[in-house]
Amino acid sequence: MPRLTIDGREIEAQHGQTVMEAATANGIFIPYFCWHPKLSVPGNCRICVVGVEDKGGEWVEIACNMPITEGMVVYTNSEKVRARRKATMQFITLNHPVDCGICDKAGECTLQDYHYEYNGERSVSIDAKVHATKHYALSSRIVLDNERCIQCTRCVRFTREISKSNGLGMQNRADHSLVRAVEDGSFANDPYSDNVIDICPVGALLSRSFLHKARVWYLKPTASVCPGCARGCAVNLWHRRPEWRLRSPEQRARNDEIDRVTPLDNPAVNGPWICNKGRDLAKVFGRARAEAPMLKGRPTDLAGALAQTRSLVAAARKPVAVVSSWGSNEELAAFKAALGGRFAAFVKADHEPEPGEVVEDAILIRADKNPNTAGARALFGEAPPAIPKDADLVLVWGEGFDFGLIPAGAKIVYLNAWLQPENGHADVFFPVSVQTERDGHYTNFAGVTSAFSKCFEKKAGVSDAEALFAALSGQPGGGE
Amino acid sequence: MPGRQLIMNFEVTPTSHTLEAYRARGGYETLRKALGMEPAAITKEVTASGLLGHGGAAFPVGRKWGVMKPNPGEIHYLCANADEGEPGTFKDRWVLEHAPHLLVESMLITSYALGVRHAFVYIRGEFDLPFRRIQGAIDEAYAAGLLGAKLFGTEFLLDIVVYRGAGSYVCGEASGLITSIEGRKPYPRNRPPRLTVRGLFQKPTVINNVESLANITGIIRMGAEEFKKVGTPKSPGTQLVSISGHIAKPGVYEVEYGYPWAKFLDEDCGGMLGGAKLKCVVPGGISTKVLTRAEIEPLNLSHESVNPAGSGLGSGGMIAVAEGTCMVRFLQVLLRFYHHESCGQCTPCREGMGWMHRIIDRIVDGKGVPEDIDRLYAISHANDGTTICGMGDAAGYATVGILNKYRDEFEYFIQNKRSKFDGRLECPA
Repeated sequence: MPRLTIDGREIEAQHGQTVMEAATANGIFIPYFCWHPKLSVPGNCRICVVGVEDKGGEWVEIACNMPITEGMVVYTNSEKVRARRKATMQFITLNHPVDCGICDKAGECTLQDYHYEYNGERSVSIDAKVHATKHYALSSRIVLDNERCIQCTRCVRFTREISKSNGLGMQNRADHSLVRAVEDGSFANDPYSDNVIDICPVGALLSRSFLHKARVWYLKPTASVCPGCARGCAVNLWHRRPEWRLRSPEQRARNDEIDRVTPLDNPAVNGPWICNKGRDLAKVFGRARAEAPMLKGRPTDLAGALAQTRSLVAAARKPVAVVSSWGSNEELAAFKAALGGRFAAFVKADHEPEPGEVVEDAILIRADKNPNTAGARALFGEAPPAIPKDADLVLVWGEGFDFGLIPAGAKIVYLNAWLQPENGHADVFFPVSVQTERDGHYTNFAGVTSAFSKCFEKKAGVSDAEALFAALSGQPGGGE
Repeated sequence: MPGRQLIMNFEVTPTSHTLEAYRARGGYETLRKALGMEPAAITKEVTASGLLGHGGAAFPVGRKWGVMKPNPGEIHYLCANADEGEPGTFKDRWVLEHAPHLLVESMLITSYALGVRHAFVYIRGEFDLPFRRIQGAIDEAYAAGLLGAKLFGTEFLLDIVVYRGAGSYVCGEASGLITSIEGRKPYPRNRPPRLTVRGLFQKPTVINNVESLANITGIIRMGAEEFKKVGTPKSPGTQLVSISGHIAKPGVYEVEYGYPWAKFLDEDCGGMLGGAKLKCVVPGGISTKVLTRAEIEPLNLSHESVNPAGSGLGSGGMIAVAEGTCMVRFLQVLLRFYHHESCGQCTPCREGMGWMHRIIDRIVDGKGVPEDIDRLYAISHANDGTTICGMGDAAGYATVGILNKYRDEFEYFIQNKRSKFDGRLECPA
């Protein structure tokens, strides 16, 4: 194991590492724009320069492409390094419009941070900036501002090395270089295209759905798990901070909406990427909600619905349950503990692949479009839902179940979060909370269990499924 | 004749480039001799000859070859760099047009020495006659069984592919060149790894300038000892100098290293056009620093003589500049070129070239400010050694070279909003 010294600290590195990798692995920070741990090394931004002690004095080179050697002495903040970085920052901001005031990236922009850290001075140029296209539609999802672009080529390399769509490239030369999508539309069809928004170190690549929606410092990320497929990618759900709640009547609803979704690096599941479907969780969770318990379509209160359910369960000779693959491990365990002994239970797929959706690929996307099938099957078996003809009580939990499969005359208890026509057909209906309104865990297809946290308070009439099951336990014939 | 001649040593006629004429001059005899030697012995001979690369950096050819250890069973590539793009340089063109078989024979010998099975000639797209001549020579060599067939009873055979570039200055940079052959935008690559370790298609690759390769046949024919008798001890051999500008007899000359510079200009090239006086000379392509008449007076044309004067012979692309030429306009032309040719990959060059171009344009427009000169220095300095390829450095050298010597002209232009001379680049005489 080669040993080297960085800023006076002796560290041990792996063979074949670069100075950047060795420093990062040991918690030493070297600034970078174009370098990315998951992408190839282009060495084009030149901001990661470090000084290396040598017989002839200190020489300065980029850290991202510098192989480590035994006993090398590296400085990340020497006078030479600071001067070089400052000159490089002058170059990078030379043609940058510095329109942070209207830029979505402001507040989480690497260029902004580095400017204050490594330059801090106004541009020394008195010449006009080079103008380029603004609001260029790279795809229906992504807007490109070429003036803000610093040509680090992270996005280009992402489409070549990670998503393999080869959807982006560089056009033209010198300070007229432009990031452009290839003509065959492969970028528009790239199901991972939105990742380039996250890896863009500046505000050049912007999400159309999030464009000018909120300053990022008004938002708060909550760690969560994407329910879009059995991969269960770790994500951050960004929503309004409580202290910055919107008060105007027409804006107020946005306080309880997901503003954007970004990946949360989890090497065991998704690495730093998620697919475009995961970006659109706001659509899934923004659907109209059921907010009151009902008896045969007539609103009632929770106590009435619970009492009716208890009597139905008590009277049933052959009760069957169809449990949700969107339920958390805690909810599923609560059902098993409360009613598992009374009901014959099957696991159903709440969601099936939608038309036009990528069903499965070799990168992240799984064919099973439910987050917790593995967790549910571990408790209730692999068998697909099959309702016996003589079933006289069917408990359905979650959406996506065909009520036509239920034998005529059987009583139906239904738990669902969404406002759907089936709700009124059930003998007893309970509105339940969704993932963003509670804490819990999902187990993905590979057996990795990930936690998600609560973002919003649930509405008054809505119950947690876990609490409902607990309230229904202790019944005659219920689980102990 | 500026000294002895090793490459331009035959009479150019309408048929002198053909295989028949080349054979009559003793062509492909050296190849037979080389194939009788051990490959390592050829590399040793080239190393012993002290041959310096003629692409501009004067890197010893033997040392470059020495890094690539021929590894039986592994793929190695050889590329002849015929993407002659340095402004003022047109010497490789002469070799390609008039001695294409010399290049083919040299590439055969080099490939044998380095264990190469496939070699490339990367030629710039603007070269038309040179392309037809080298392609014609290769076709002749295939027909004569010199290429694509096992030679002289050995197992050695070689294929040469001519690849026409789509035109860009950085295609002549070795790593940009191979990226272009691979079919991509010619972005130069970071070192390490060196191209002799991982080059074309990720395989060890030697890239030599056309003129460097053209010397190989001569070295093997006469032996390193004889070769070293030509030129000076530190710069053995000859250099093809392509001279242009305000000179009476522009063209390509083969100059033996050590030949007096002033004598070369005044006698061999016929002095300045229209009897004008020499103001300065660009020694080897615009990326080398200009030298004034007084500075070149004591110098001779060899690396050890020119380098201490703060410049270099570079690619041999000499430009003579007459007294009365406006150096502000001169630098404007250079910076426009660098701005146009910067590939846009790495920050200092991508932004710096355009910035310098805008500054010099503003000065020529009469809107310069005194700080502009220091700004040009600062940008040049910030490009020195900070870019992926040598282009940033080259532009910086050229700019600093002119600013150092003609700062007064820039100050005059900024102050008076007009050139100190008549502002033309044509010969003032």
